[in-house]
Amino acid sequence: MTRPLLRLVAGRATAVLATAVLATAAAGCSSGSGGSSGGSSVKSLSVGFVAEPSNLDFTTTDGVAIPQAMLVNVYEGLVKLDQDGKIVPLLAKSWDISDDRKTYTFHLQDNATFTNGKKFTADDVVFSLNRVKTDWKVSLKSAMDVVSSVEKKDDTTAVVTLAKPSNSWLYKMATRVGAMFSRDGIADLANTPVGTGPYKLESWKRGDAITLAASPNYWGTKPKLEKVVLKYFKDATAMNNALLTGGIDVISTVQAPESLQQFTNNSKYEVIEGTTTGEVVLSFNNSKAPLNDKRVRQAIRHAINHKTLVETAWAGRGQVIGGMVPPSDPWYEDLTGVTPYDPAKAKALLAEAGQSNLKLRLRIANLPYAVAAGQVVKSQLAEVGITADIEPLEFPARWLDVVFKQADYDMSIINHVEPRDLGALFGNPNYYLRYNNPKVQELLAKADAGPESDQIAAMKEAARLVSEDAAADFLFLFPNLIVAETGVTGLPKNLVSESFDLTVLAKAKG
Amino acid sequence: MSAPAARRRVRRLNASMVVGGALVGLVVLAALVSFVWTPHDPVHVDPAHRLAPAFGGDYLLGTDKFGRDVLSRLMVGARTTLYVGIVAVGIAAVLGTPLGMLAGMVGGWSGELVMRANDLLFAFPALLLAIMLGAVFGASALTAMVAIGVATIPAFARVARGQTLSVMHTDYVLAARSAGRSRLAIALRHVLPNIASILIVQASVSFAIAILAEAALSFLGFGTRPPTPSWGRMLQESQELLFSTPRLAFWPGLAIALAVLGFNLLGDGLRDWLDPKLREGR
Amino acid sequence: MALYLLRRVAVFIVSTAVAAVAVFAFMAVLPGDPAAIALGVNATPEAVAAKRAEFGTDRPLAVQFLAWVSGLPTGDFGLSYVSGDRIGPQIADRLGVTLWLVLFGMLIATVVAVPLGAAAAVRHRSVTGLILSGLSQVGVAIPAFLAGILLVFLFAVTWQVLPSGGYTPLAEDPVAWFQQLLLPALSLGLVQGAVLSRYVRSAVLDVLREDFIRTARAKGMGLYRALWRHGSRNAAIPVVTVLGLQLATLLVGAVVVERVFTLPGLGSLLLDGVANRDLLLVQDTVMVLVVAVLAINFLVDALYVVLDPRLRDLSPRGAR
Repeated sequence: MTRPLLRLVAGRATAVLATAVLATAAAGCSSGSGGSSGGSSVKSLSVGFVAEPSNLDFTTTDGVAIPQAMLVNVYEGLVKLDQDGKIVPLLAKSWDISDDRKTYTFHLQDNATFTNGKKFTADDVVFSLNRVKTDWKVSLKSAMDVVSSVEKKDDTTAVVTLAKPSNSWLYKMATRVGAMFSRDGIADLANTPVGTGPYKLESWKRGDAITLAASPNYWGTKPKLEKVVLKYFKDATAMNNALLTGGIDVISTVQAPESLQQFTNNSKYEVIEGTTTGEVVLSFNNSKAPLNDKRVRQAIRHAINHKTLVETAWAGRGQVIGGMVPPSDPWYEDLTGVTPYDPAKAKALLAEAGQSNLKLRLRIANLPYAVAAGQVVKSQLAEVGITADIEPLEFPARWLDVVFKQADYDMSIINHVEPRDLGALFGNPNYYLRYNNPKVQELLAKADAGPESDQIAAMKEAARLVSEDAAADFLFLFPNLIVAETGVTGLPKNLVSESFDLTVLAKAKG
Repeated sequence: MSAPAARRRVRRLNASMVVGGALVGLVVLAALVSFVWTPHDPVHVDPAHRLAPAFGGDYLLGTDKFGRDVLSRLMVGARTTLYVGIVAVGIAAVLGTPLGMLAGMVGGWSGELVMRANDLLFAFPALLLAIMLGAVFGASALTAMVAIGVATIPAFARVARGQTLSVMHTDYVLAARSAGRSRLAIALRHVLPNIASILIVQASVSFAIAILAEAALSFLGFGTRPPTPSWGRMLQESQELLFSTPRLAFWPGLAIALAVLGFNLLGDGLRDWLDPKLREGR
Repeated sequence: MALYLLRRVAVFIVSTAVAAVAVFAFMAVLPGDPAAIALGVNATPEAVAAKRAEFGTDRPLAVQFLAWVSGLPTGDFGLSYVSGDRIGPQIADRLGVTLWLVLFGMLIATVVAVPLGAAAAVRHRSVTGLILSGLSQVGVAIPAFLAGILLVFLFAVTWQVLPSGGYTPLAEDPVAWFQQLLLPALSLGLVQGAVLSRYVRSAVLDVLREDFIRTARAKGMGLYRALWRHGSRNAAIPVVTVLGLQLATLLVGAVVVERVFTLPGLGSLLLDGVANRDLLLVQDTVMVLVVAVLAINFLVDALYVVLDPRLRDLSPRGAR
């Protein structure tokens, strides 16, 4: 079973993972966009992001900002996720799975090199995967717990043996835990990433921007751009303004959806709308009265009108899902009917539970989506006689400490962005939701071990159980909203992995 | 003290004071009325009436993206503003005035020490204190008020000390001292009444500064918690709609500006009114 | 005069020392163990203990304080709890941005305030004077961040003549540097200019009543010329005081304006530090800001002596 995992989206950098980190007075990277001369396509583009990494080492530092910038772009794994969330080859050309589904044989690319000039071989696979267990500090290293051995067969063949069959393992290999490191390239991971990817780090101006430059000896299809500038904004409006004034070419994720109007009716800009794997969850402290009473939790779910919530809080962008599974997963099922909006029923359930004048602490992350959704939740709960006291906690540090670590809360709102995180949230009684349902745990274990057909059936059942149990309320699926200057191509419609893939980004000159 | 006081009463009111008083009065009135009546519930989310236009229909100043009535929120926001201002200025006056008086009456190295400590506190501006307090206790209206209040102590202490120094040389204080009155008695009987007017002026000016500080803090997310309306928070929330619905930024912006203007003008006017020597110039 | 300056220096040093104690003590009472925070949610007690030893937070507070303070003068601000990097260079980098912003803002404030205030004083009985005074009152009442939002709306978004934010170092591209700094500096400078102009006005009014101006006028000198030749030094004393106070205000006001314009200055460093609970970084940043304010006060005091010869004679009697 997975241990508590956490990957949360930092909605905006006000709260941000972004820190301030050292700054070796490094110069470099201009804020401007646009290309240099020559060629039929633009040579450099700037993309606006909200969460700046505090350092570049995702082996010791949690948070989605680092893999968002580094994974696939600078570091590569053996496999990666495509636009539909399917596992496709990357550094492994192909792989064979044994009949007992415990042995994976990876056939590797033979022409890949790291940016330090070293050739990528099976030794690096052994080194990188073993290092997860020994040196990684973040909680998601547990994804490799199931690995019993990693061996080199020859330079281009690596064999991984699992202790038991696991469907989620190969999937996890597409995330940051599967990233390949050079044996000679880990001296200064925080500042000097060494990967096999199409880009290498050129410069990092702390508090401002990271510049990636195309790696000259990349083994695969070379990117069309010579440079990508990842520019970080603490403020959604500032990012919008930067696009409007040519400071950046792309807004990677819109944090102020009401402001989209500026771009939708303007031929200079293109709005891309798709889905993410981020469920904005109204989490309940399932072990603590009064929310240890299923009827109270159900009452809250019945009291919330999700459709109007999305309309008012997030400009109607975002899908109502009713469960913890996004439509991009094979075991998705529309669960919005499980607890439909029904204030009368909510009141009845509260009366049945013997609750009147219920007061609950709503300790949310101080991120735009949470603050907006929180105010709607509060107002809707007031209609059925529940008082919710909103307390925004600074994200990440304070929210992590108070809600996530100490579970000192009644309700919270956070976007759980990690793909396939049903098990992480509801399969572990120690997770901050404190949800303990042996039946769900059993189903999750069965899904991970069994063949694919079993997996889908078991996951569906687990997701439905969680929803029926009202272990949390699922406010909406966070939309993937990208705004770009017209002509920019290669942007992901759906955000199904934890990296923001910049490898095919391009813009025709004109 | 009755003679000068009487003269004050007949002195003509000046324009600054009238305008400033009217603006402050408007803010106070809005805040008071909001306790008993607002056109709509200021925190009720009403998706059916999102972004309703101003001057038409049920909503005089329109609604925000949550369908909340802007006028109601402005009125309750006035309450927040006054609340923060009163507590902050109260803290500053209650702590700063005795310190300043002490420094002015005692003098010597202990008086010097008080003023040096005061100068030191001056180096911790309200915003910095509020961010630090917010980091410790979690940001709220309370941390904002306390921070603004503590940061305003030096302003009161300085004014109180300066005025106390001049009062200490007046005949009646010298007489009281030679009559063997205790320092406390002199402070309460003679000094305080004589520095009260300048302190009122200071309070008005500090109030204006407190309003600005609260707005900045709410803008940064270190102030009043949602959904409680505060003008700074309303401004912050209006930003994403600045292009399509600029009025959402206009009203709270105007409210802040008018309130600050009001307290500043009132302070100026009071200063002129209370201190005839200064009338000519400033 | 030397004695006066010496006393000022002593006051500055003692104040800085006391401020260091205050800042350190304040951060020491913060709940939460930096080591535990840095390691995240699943750290073992042993790992936390090791981290504590690494940070040096297992030592007695007094030892920690001395270690911290003794590093400050040499620019050794310690290592960030979050990134493990040296904080000193980072602060130096960010301080550069903020100082440019503040200086630029101050310059704009002065350029706006001096003529505006002088004109308002000279014409204080006319309608023009009244309008100028009113204008400054309105300026004072507008928060700097609101001015920033408005300036971006107009100059960057609507007219597209200036960038809406960002920062390019001066050495890299002076033109971009200037363009990007102009709007933030204006939002700080215009508001502070309004504040300053009120002091300029009253300072000039005082000077106008002085005999030497009347004498100069009687000799046929033009009013503005007389003011410039004879009055500027006298009017400068109160104005310089206010300028000093305002520099401190600007330094803090920059925190908000940096947010509006996404400038990588000290303010954003501080806010990031708070959000990430990078406590040593917060402690260092606050200390730098406080010392900057104290230093400004010291310089203002020192300037007094230069500007006001009378103070030189008085100075032995004390720092009044």
